[in-house]
Amino acid sequence: MKNNKTKFLTRVGVLSAIAFVLMYIDFPIAVLFPSFLKFDFSEVPALLGTFSMGPLAGVVIVFIKNVLIYLIKGSSTGGVGEIANFVISAAWMIPVGIIYKHEKSKKNAIKGMAVGAVTMIVVAAVANYFVMIPLYSKFMPIEAIIATGSAINPAIVSVESLILLGITPFNIFKTAVISLLTALIYKKVSPVLHR
Amino acid sequence: MLKDVTIGQYYPTNSIIHRLDPRTKIHFTLLYIVALFLVDNMIGYGVAFATLITITLISKIPVNYVLRGVKGLVFIIMITVAINLFMTPGTVRYQFWIFKITEEGLKVAVFMALRLIFLVTGTSLMTLTTSPISLTDGIEYSLKGVPGVRKYAHELAMMMTIALRFIPTLMEETDRIMKAQKARGADLDSGNLIQRAKSLIPILVPLFVSAFRRADELAIAMEARCYRGGENRTRLHALKFGRIDIYAYATTFLMIGAVILTRWI
Repeated sequence: MKNNKTKFLTRVGVLSAIAFVLMYIDFPIAVLFPSFLKFDFSEVPALLGTFSMGPLAGVVIVFIKNVLIYLIKGSSTGGVGEIANFVISAAWMIPVGIIYKHEKSKKNAIKGMAVGAVTMIVVAAVANYFVMIPLYSKFMPIEAIIATGSAINPAIVSVESLILLGITPFNIFKTAVISLLTALIYKKVSPVLHR
Repeated sequence: MLKDVTIGQYYPTNSIIHRLDPRTKIHFTLLYIVALFLVDNMIGYGVAFATLITITLISKIPVNYVLRGVKGLVFIIMITVAINLFMTPGTVRYQFWIFKITEEGLKVAVFMALRLIFLVTGTSLMTLTTSPISLTDGIEYSLKGVPGVRKYAHELAMMMTIALRFIPTLMEETDRIMKAQKARGADLDSGNLIQRAKSLIPILVPLFVSAFRRADELAIAMEARCYRGGENRTRLHALKFGRIDIYAYATTFLMIGAVILTRWI
């Protein structure tokens, strides 16, 4: 494993390609959550990259994924959704990478994923409240955004309740499903990685 | 659903817009977004609209392609218009049953809808006229001018290029693995989200294993050809600003200037 730099480039590149493909086939789960929240599995390769190559790899993967989605699929939000996805996913990858890099044990992997998920949920709530929703409201009125939420849950009546009852439960669900999936996959893939 | 990814948005024609330097188009798009946020009256939108129409005509892209991005937004635009139309207080213009349309509401509704449409069509014009690979080139060159990021511009662009190159390969691979698992009796299309996530494992594990193998082989191949990062690397097709790029920049600044001017009219 001499000269890891080229290997880093190629592995991150390939993982970004997988992340792109997985994000391309996203689907909203409008039955449970507001329809602008789309569920996709694109964080699985990013988490995998974070585990195997450190936090920088994870951040770069989510960055490239979003740039490519913007360039190829085109954005329905003029880029705001992509920036949101990047910031929030990066907030998820960084703690995971830092904790797991320290000591590569099963305990640390679980600890890292838990801390990462909590960080992601908090950052998502804060970023949505202060940046994303105000930015979206430049194009559509706040009431329209809240209306997509109250269609699912009548308790959603304001931006605060939208974040607490719409976005946060979605993120808890998303981080749980994806962390579990990554853990199961990483266990099987890691022997290949460290050959 | 997977097939149209490789095609992407790019619509090749032989127009001046297509032949512009990708950097010019990236910078134009960024400035165009800024301009849209600066607009606060209808004349400003007139300028933005004229710019869009001119670019579309010169680039020879069918109008319905340009408008495709808006199609996905029809629902959001309709909600936006409806809420603005009926909820904005002010002088009542029309009234029937419980609905009131105010003059202010009408203004805000049209304003918001136009901003949304211009934003989406404006940014999709860039991806329609530039192939992803030359956009990557443009991003690399543009990042080289940003202090702090300059050092990583080449690496970032290299990773993006690798990702772009592997998207079709990996999609084919995914398809093959899915078929192989289905042949073994895997049920991939039914069940709730948890079940679907579970059924992804037998697809993703071989996909990742083969992806890592490809990545490592590529790394060996690159190093065998003496790849050692961006320093002193030369290119086959270096980006060069031409005369049309200067005109394009001039037009862009003219547009921004006009938009800013309309704020005082």
